[in-house]
Amino acid sequence: MAHVQTQTIAQAKEGDKIISSVAMIVTLVSFGMLFLTLMMAFALFRFTQAVWPPAGMSRPDLLLPTISTLLIAISSATYIYFEKNIYKGKAHKNSLALTTLLGIGFMVSQFLFWNHLKAQGIFASSGIFPSIIYAFTWIHAAHIVAGLGLLMWLYGTLKTPDSMTAVKVSNIGKFWHFLGIVWLIMFVTIFVL
Amino acid sequence: MAFFEQDIHDAPTTFLSKYVFSFDHKVIAKQFLWYGIAFLGIGGMMAILIRWTLAFPGEAFPILGPLLFPGNNGVVPPDTYAMLFTLHGTIMIFYAITPILIGAFGNYCIPLMIGARDMVFPTLNMLSFWLAVLSAILLLASLFTPLGGAAGGWTSYPTLSTLIGSAGVGQTLWCLALFVLGVSSTMGAVNYIATIITLRAPGMGYFDMPLTIWGLWLTAILNAIFLPVLGAGLLLLTFDRVFGTTFFLAGAAATSGSGDPVLFQHVFWIFGHPEVYILILPAWGIVSDLLSFFARKPAFGAKGTALAMTSITILSTLVYGHHMYSTQMSPLLTQSFMMLTMTISIPSAVFFANWLGTIWKGSIRFDTPMLFSLGVVFVFGLGGLTGLYLATVTTDLYLHDTYFVVGHFHYTMAASVLLGGFAGTYFWFPKMYGRMMNERLGKIHFWISMVGLNGIFMGMMVIGHAGMHRRIYNPFVYEFLKDLVPLNMFITISALTMGVGQLFFVYNFIHSMYKGPIATQNPWEVGTLEWTIPSPAPHYNFKDIPVVRCGPHEFGNPNLVGKDFQYQTEELVKA
Amino acid sequence: MNLLLNLFMKHFVTSADAASTVGFWESMKPPIDISTNGHLIDSLFMLTTWLILFFFFFVCLGIFGFSYLYSKKKHPKPLYTHGTSRKHISIVAGIGALVFIMVDMQITTISNRDFINVFLNYPKESEDIVRVQVLGQQWAWNFRYAGKDGIFNTEDDVVTLNDLRLPINKKVIFQITSKDVIHSLYFPNARLKVDAMPGRISRMWYELTKTGLYDIACAEMCGTYHYRMQAKLTVYDQTEYDAWLNEMQERAEFTTEKDKADLYWGWKWLADAETK
Repeated sequence: MAHVQTQTIAQAKEGDKIISSVAMIVTLVSFGMLFLTLMMAFALFRFTQAVWPPAGMSRPDLLLPTISTLLIAISSATYIYFEKNIYKGKAHKNSLALTTLLGIGFMVSQFLFWNHLKAQGIFASSGIFPSIIYAFTWIHAAHIVAGLGLLMWLYGTLKTPDSMTAVKVSNIGKFWHFLGIVWLIMFVTIFVL
Repeated sequence: MAFFEQDIHDAPTTFLSKYVFSFDHKVIAKQFLWYGIAFLGIGGMMAILIRWTLAFPGEAFPILGPLLFPGNNGVVPPDTYAMLFTLHGTIMIFYAITPILIGAFGNYCIPLMIGARDMVFPTLNMLSFWLAVLSAILLLASLFTPLGGAAGGWTSYPTLSTLIGSAGVGQTLWCLALFVLGVSSTMGAVNYIATIITLRAPGMGYFDMPLTIWGLWLTAILNAIFLPVLGAGLLLLTFDRVFGTTFFLAGAAATSGSGDPVLFQHVFWIFGHPEVYILILPAWGIVSDLLSFFARKPAFGAKGTALAMTSITILSTLVYGHHMYSTQMSPLLTQSFMMLTMTISIPSAVFFANWLGTIWKGSIRFDTPMLFSLGVVFVFGLGGLTGLYLATVTTDLYLHDTYFVVGHFHYTMAASVLLGGFAGTYFWFPKMYGRMMNERLGKIHFWISMVGLNGIFMGMMVIGHAGMHRRIYNPFVYEFLKDLVPLNMFITISALTMGVGQLFFVYNFIHSMYKGPIATQNPWEVGTLEWTIPSPAPHYNFKDIPVVRCGPHEFGNPNLVGKDFQYQTEELVKA
Repeated sequence: MNLLLNLFMKHFVTSADAASTVGFWESMKPPIDISTNGHLIDSLFMLTTWLILFFFFFVCLGIFGFSYLYSKKKHPKPLYTHGTSRKHISIVAGIGALVFIMVDMQITTISNRDFINVFLNYPKESEDIVRVQVLGQQWAWNFRYAGKDGIFNTEDDVVTLNDLRLPINKKVIFQITSKDVIHSLYFPNARLKVDAMPGRISRMWYELTKTGLYDIACAEMCGTYHYRMQAKLTVYDQTEYDAWLNEMQERAEFTTEKDKADLYWGWKWLADAETK
């Protein structure tokens, strides 16, 4: 058919966008299932134990996790600002840099949190509650590191913007916001409740 | 519909970029095929060792035994036996069937059958294969660690798979290998789903896709959703082993913490039951197509078959509890899982009705792929129906963890899937290598396999019903199993027969690659898109993206003149 | 090949000697049923088998019959139908419904009834029953009887290793756990098994009807010597059982070392309500 051969660049761009979005949604479903399984495990322990936290354990100090939450929330906000500007055709590099820095800040705050727990004598092997705290934050942090890598790579590609830049920005954004939401859920269910 | 047209990229010229680090979906498919066949050989050899031990306990394994186990007079030692059945299960499921059915046929058929030039993400595709290779290296490396490979069964239930039950590095490497493989398969799944959604040729609606693509698509969806569940379980297990967390530790032998070993079983089977369908959905798809192709008749109720596949896909996520009746879940849960499991038989009955409806009043050509497809209908009938005993909670009290279970799941996961895989291999070989496979050898291969398979797995169900439990090194230490010696020997001899039968396939495959008669463009006279292009498929598949105008199973239309099928690119002939 | 033949002959001859009383078909049967409720499982198995054979017969009739009737030679002109007419769809749907009503509903109903009314209907604490605590470990079964005082984990407890002795015609209830890895307490002659899980206590009950010596096995993979995790079940009549238990109790009171903590692996018997 003729129209297939005479496809325009605009159509191709549209196609790229749709493909990446489909793939990104599937990927996020996959990651979502990973964290959902962890939350299911947590729920199982939480509701089958008569007392929570289990005997001999107390809830961890909320200060550092709260700082982490604030950092990652602000980083998502700055990213949204950056993303809006990209769609308007402006590459607001500073806000992307700020997102990355806040992400690094989140990691620092997590490291401080782990050190704080260790200083209190709470290790991963100290029982089921510390096991959950350590393992879940480790797995989340590993994803944050990957997300930071993507943000830095994105920063590098901004020098030579092309038709795919907006797609990249939108997809990496989805991943970064996803990690923020996962952290928020973990913060509320594991630390606060 | 195709949202855009992929570029025709230049054919690679160097050996490395053409055959090793290739972006071409057809080359990656062949890589997966060889990878799978190699592991099929290794896993099969392990099965023979296992069977030998069960039939002739205490006898040296001929020829290979003294080489492999010199310290034990050539007899398989009990710890090695545990390792053998663990790795047999792992290798067959994750390293043989998954690469062949999903890696090879998925990569090969999806772009060709939907009229695309390649997968949407060729790089991801290549990465997926090389991660699978990395995973295989990790798994094989685990065999050479001080305490040997994993030996806790392919289900690796804690606490046996934690440091309490298996101290070696082997089990940790096993977890990592499976995790890496999970990442690789998820990458593949994302690629397949995106390709099928976005790159179908213009005019091809979802119900114009061949059923093979339906099977592969649903498989990819299940993979993308449920492999991360296994991934999470494996991560927690690895943390338990390496960092001393206590997710799965409990009881007197656990020095700290109060986890729950049954949690792993939940996580494992939430993944594990869909995995069964992950393996068999592509085989169902291939068989549904091939029955129509060789009966020269449109697929009976093709839409119904596709919908039945979809409903099984959905149901498969809700029934995992029937693997865990013996852990004494709450009665309410047990009953709901039994009821939900039973409902799977409705879409299964639809399959059989449609398959038999397809060959009813057809004009059947008994070529090798057709024989294998009919074989699938037969063995899947047996495998599916015997599932009823295990879904029923009271009979499962007796049959759980016996050889009956082993026989049942081998009928579905080994016999059906393997025969489906062979059907596909014989069918698409001309398009892959441009040559035909030998029909006579193929038919010999089919009949030996059929006799062997049924001897093995039927025998297993019989000894299971007689009470023989799974994963035991020497059944004859038990008084009530002493009478089963002749039956066990019968199974082992069937297994050896089956093993010998596969040599016909290997010879046929390799010989035909170089010496087989040159295949025409469309040797089977079939109308799907891959047969509209030369054999072997050229580098860019379709020079012009085809436009689809009719369904994939248009055979025997009385208004056709001169031939009995029409290509999907042709307008449906009407009176 | 020769080697294989020799080996096969050797085994076949020896096993034929040993099992000369058991024919080939006889050997396929499940072990003798010694419990009051084992026949429920056996009869449901047989019912399922007949239903399955009924449907599989039609599948085979389809595969072989159609292959014979509609081969290319015999039937060169195929029927052109997509199977989408109302008649075809209702036939397919009918087959689905038939399978569901004839097989699934039947089996599920019977199984549900047996499961709730019999296998989960544990004997009441007030009844005259035998209570046994079971501890699985790599690779042995420990059994504990409460002894004279009827309280578990005291000095007069009768503790045996791989040796379970029970009276005939009396309800027996087990509470089962494991020390290290997951095991599964398997009585092939009573058609029952239940997992022994570390950190949990599972339950099982049955009533035996035949005296004699039987096998107990572990059905869940539990390590290298899983196959050796074998125990013996001796079924006595009531007088023999009482005599044995008395003797064991007296012996236990003399031999149990009071300060050896690991002999007291038992637990307080859990009442019905506590096990859920």
